[in-house]
Amino acid sequence: MKMKKTNLIIVATVVLFWLLLSFAAWINPSKDISLSERRLLKQAPKLELGSVASGQFMRDFEDYAKDQFPARDTFRMFKALSRYYVLSQADNNDIYIVDGYAAKLEFPLKENSVNKAAAKFRAIYEEHMKDTNCKVYLSVIPDKNYYLASKNGYPVMDYESLFSLIREGTDFAEYIDITGDLTISDYYKTDLHWKQENLAAVVDKIAGALGVSEELSPNYTVQVDDKVFYGVYAGQSALPLKPDRILYLTNEATENSTVYNAESELYAPVYDLEKLSGRDPYDVYLSGAVPLMVIENPTATTERELVIFRDSFGSSLAPLLLEAYSKVTLIDIRYMASSLIGDYISFSNQDVLFLYNTLILNSSEMLR
Amino acid sequence: MLFSSITFLYYFLPIVLIIYFLTPKKGKNLVLMIASFVFYGWGEPVYLLFMLLSVAVHYVLALLIERHQGRKLAKVWLVLAVTFSLALLGYFKYADFFIQNFNAATGMSLPLLKVALPIGISFYTFQILSYTVDVHRRETPAQRNVIKLATYVSMFPQLIAGPIVRYVDVAAGLDEREHSIEKFRSGLRRFLIGLAKKVILANSLGELCQIFLKTTDQTVLFHWIYAVAFTLQIYFDFSGYSDMAIGLGRILGFEFLENFNYPFISKSITEFWRRWHISLSSWFRDYLYIPLGGSRVGRGRLVFNILVVWLLTGFWHGAAWNFIVWGLIFAVLLVVEKVWLSSILEKIPGWIRHLFVLLVVLLSFVVFDAANLTIAGQRIAAMFGAGSLPWADTVTYYSLRSYGLIIVLAAVCSTPLIKWAVEKLRTRRWAEKMLAVAEPVVSIVFLLVMTGYLVDSSFNPFLYFRF
Repeated sequence: MKMKKTNLIIVATVVLFWLLLSFAAWINPSKDISLSERRLLKQAPKLELGSVASGQFMRDFEDYAKDQFPARDTFRMFKALSRYYVLSQADNNDIYIVDGYAAKLEFPLKENSVNKAAAKFRAIYEEHMKDTNCKVYLSVIPDKNYYLASKNGYPVMDYESLFSLIREGTDFAEYIDITGDLTISDYYKTDLHWKQENLAAVVDKIAGALGVSEELSPNYTVQVDDKVFYGVYAGQSALPLKPDRILYLTNEATENSTVYNAESELYAPVYDLEKLSGRDPYDVYLSGAVPLMVIENPTATTERELVIFRDSFGSSLAPLLLEAYSKVTLIDIRYMASSLIGDYISFSNQDVLFLYNTLILNSSEMLR
Repeated sequence: MLFSSITFLYYFLPIVLIIYFLTPKKGKNLVLMIASFVFYGWGEPVYLLFMLLSVAVHYVLALLIERHQGRKLAKVWLVLAVTFSLALLGYFKYADFFIQNFNAATGMSLPLLKVALPIGISFYTFQILSYTVDVHRRETPAQRNVIKLATYVSMFPQLIAGPIVRYVDVAAGLDEREHSIEKFRSGLRRFLIGLAKKVILANSLGELCQIFLKTTDQTVLFHWIYAVAFTLQIYFDFSGYSDMAIGLGRILGFEFLENFNYPFISKSITEFWRRWHISLSSWFRDYLYIPLGGSRVGRGRLVFNILVVWLLTGFWHGAAWNFIVWGLIFAVLLVVEKVWLSSILEKIPGWIRHLFVLLVVLLSFVVFDAANLTIAGQRIAAMFGAGSLPWADTVTYYSLRSYGLIIVLAAVCSTPLIKWAVEKLRTRRWAEKMLAVAEPVVSIVFLLVMTGYLVDSSFNPFLYFRF
C-alpha cells in the first residue's frame, strides 16, 4: 500500500510537470525573432494536403516546435550549462570562453574561399580602378581566435597561410598588417567585433598607410551607453557571460556628418542611437548592415574621398577616419552584387580600402 | 516521428496517453492503432499504405493457413505470405543493390529504381513474418480481430526501430493487459533513461564522429577515438531507443523483451551476440538457424548454417557490401569459437578474452559505419599506423578534451556498474527512501536538460532508422 502511494506521488509529480510543459507548448504564442540568437524563428506551417502528403508539413512542424518552445532561451541555457560545466565540453555551439572572452571555433582554413575572395577583389579592382588614379589598400582583421585559440589549445585555421594567400591574390593593393596593433582586449567579450574605443593603434596604422595621419586628431569624446550589451556570442552560446558596454567616439566630424543610405534613400547620423535599444546594439555604428552608404563630412578641410569595401567591422572604424575625408563611401558586397558598384560610384582618384575580417574571407561565398 | 523530438514529447505523447487512459478497455487497442498510424504517417504518410497492405495480406493468409492447417495448402499460403513480405522488403531495400552489382558484373547499365526506404520496414516485416510463421507452426491461433493485428504490427513504441516484438509475446496483452501505477512508474523511468542515453550520450558521441568525418587532417589517435565513439554511439542510440520502447510499452500495459544486456562486458563473440540486439539474433535463430538444422548437425553443415545466418544478419542491416562483410566477420569468428576454440577459450584469462571481444567489436563497427569497404580498410589501416599519419594534432587533442568525459561516462554506463550500485543501495532502507525522493527530482531535471538539448539541437538522427 505504501509502495503504491510512493509510486503514485512519483508518477503524478513527473507527469504533471510534463503535462504543464506540454500545455505551455500548445498555448505559447509564436514569436517572430530570437533576440539572443539574432535570427528569425520558424512559424507554424500551413496545414495543406500537399505538404502533409510529402512530409514537409511534419518536418516544418518540428522546426517550429523547437523554435517556439516556451522559455526556449532558458532551456538552451540548461543545455549549455550541462555541456560546458557538467560534461566539461570545451565549447557549446562551437563557442568557447577563455578569460571571459567568447569566441567561435573557425577551422580549418578554406583556401578555396580565401582565393575566391582575392579573385573577387581583383575583379572589382580591374573593372573599376585599374586605369584610374585610385590608391588601393587592403587590410585583414584577425578574428578573436587569432589571439585566443592556439595558446589555449583550441584548433585554429592556418592564419599565416590565409594572410599570405590574400596578399598574393591582391598584389594590386598595398597591404596593411594590423595584427600587431590589436590584442584580445580590443574585442568585445561577448561579441565577434572589435571595440571602437580601442582602435587608436589600428587607425594610426591605416591612416599612416593612407597618408592621412596629419588630418586626424586624437581628440574624441567618449560616449557611454548606459545599457549593457550582450553580443552575438552570448546568445549563440547560451552560456552566462558578463555583458559588455557599447562606447562610441564623437568629434566635430562625426557630429556634423550625414550618412546616406542608398538602399532606403534616407539620411541618418553617424551614430544611430536608436539602434542601441534594438536587436543588435553594435548597429549604432553607421546603422548596421547596409549595402551602400555615403558619409558626407562638411567639416573636412580636404577634398579627398575614401571608398571602403567592408564588412561589419568597418562600421566602427570608418567614423574614426572620417575627419580626413570629405566623403567616405562604404560598400558591403555581402548585401550588394559587385556588378552594381559602377551604378553608384565613379572611381577616379579616391583612396580605396578593402577591409575584411578573417571569418568572412574563410566563408567568402557570401561575397556577391 | 522521433521519440527524441519536441513533437513527440510535448505534442503527440501527452495527447495520446490522455486519450488512451480515458478510453475504456475495449477501445484501447483502437486508440493505440490510430495513434500508431499517426506516428508512422507523420514521417512517411505514403508508406503507411504499404504497412496497411502488409497487415491485410498477413491477416488473410494467416486465417487461410489456420483453415488449411495440416494440408499442403497451408504451406502454399505461408510461402505466399513470406514471399510477399520479402518481395516488398527486397524491392524497397535491396533492389538497387542488386541492380548496381548486376551492372558492375555484366557491364550493363540498368537504371536504378531509387526508391526511398520506408522507415522501419525491416522491423515490421520481421514482426509480421514471425506472426504468420507461428500460426503455421501452430504456436498461436490466427488473430481474427484485424484491429488487434494492426495494433500489434503498428504499435508505435517499437514500430520503427524495434525491438522486434513477436506476436506470441504480446498476443495475450492485446486481448487483456494490466495497467498499473507501478508499471507506469517503471515505464516512465525506463523511457527517460533511454531518452538520456540517446539525447545526451549518443548524440554527443555522434557529434564527435561528425568532427572526425569532417576533419581533413587525419591522425592515428583520432581514428581510435572515432572507433570508440561510434561503437558507443550506436550502442546508446539503439539501446536508448529500445529502452524508450520498452518503457512506453510498459506504460501502455505491454511487456517487451529486453533487446540489450550490457554487450560490452562479453568475453566471447557468442556471448556478445546473446547480449546485442537480442530480438534480431533470436529471430534469426528461431526462424532460420534452427530450421536449417541449428548446431545439432555435422561440422560442415554447422559452418554453412552460421555463414548463412550471419550473411543475412549483415544484409538485414543494409544493402551494401560493408554490412555483408560485417556479418561475415562475425560468422567467421563464431565458427572459429564454436568449432575449434570452445574448449581452449575457457582456459584463457577473462580479461584477455574481454579485450579481444572489445577490439573485434570496435573494428567491426568501423566496417559497419564506412560508406564502402575501401574506406573501411583505410580507416582500420590508419588505426594501426598505415599511411604515415601523425599520432595526433590540435584537433585530435581538442576533441579528446571536449568529449573525453562523455566517452568515459558512456563507457561506464555501458557496463552494469550503475545498475549494481543502485541495486545495492536499494537493499538499505534509508537509501530506498532517498531514491524515492530523488527519482521525481532527477526525472524532472533530466527532462529539462534533454528538452534543452532538443530545442538547441541540429544533430539528432536515429542510426537504426535506416535499417
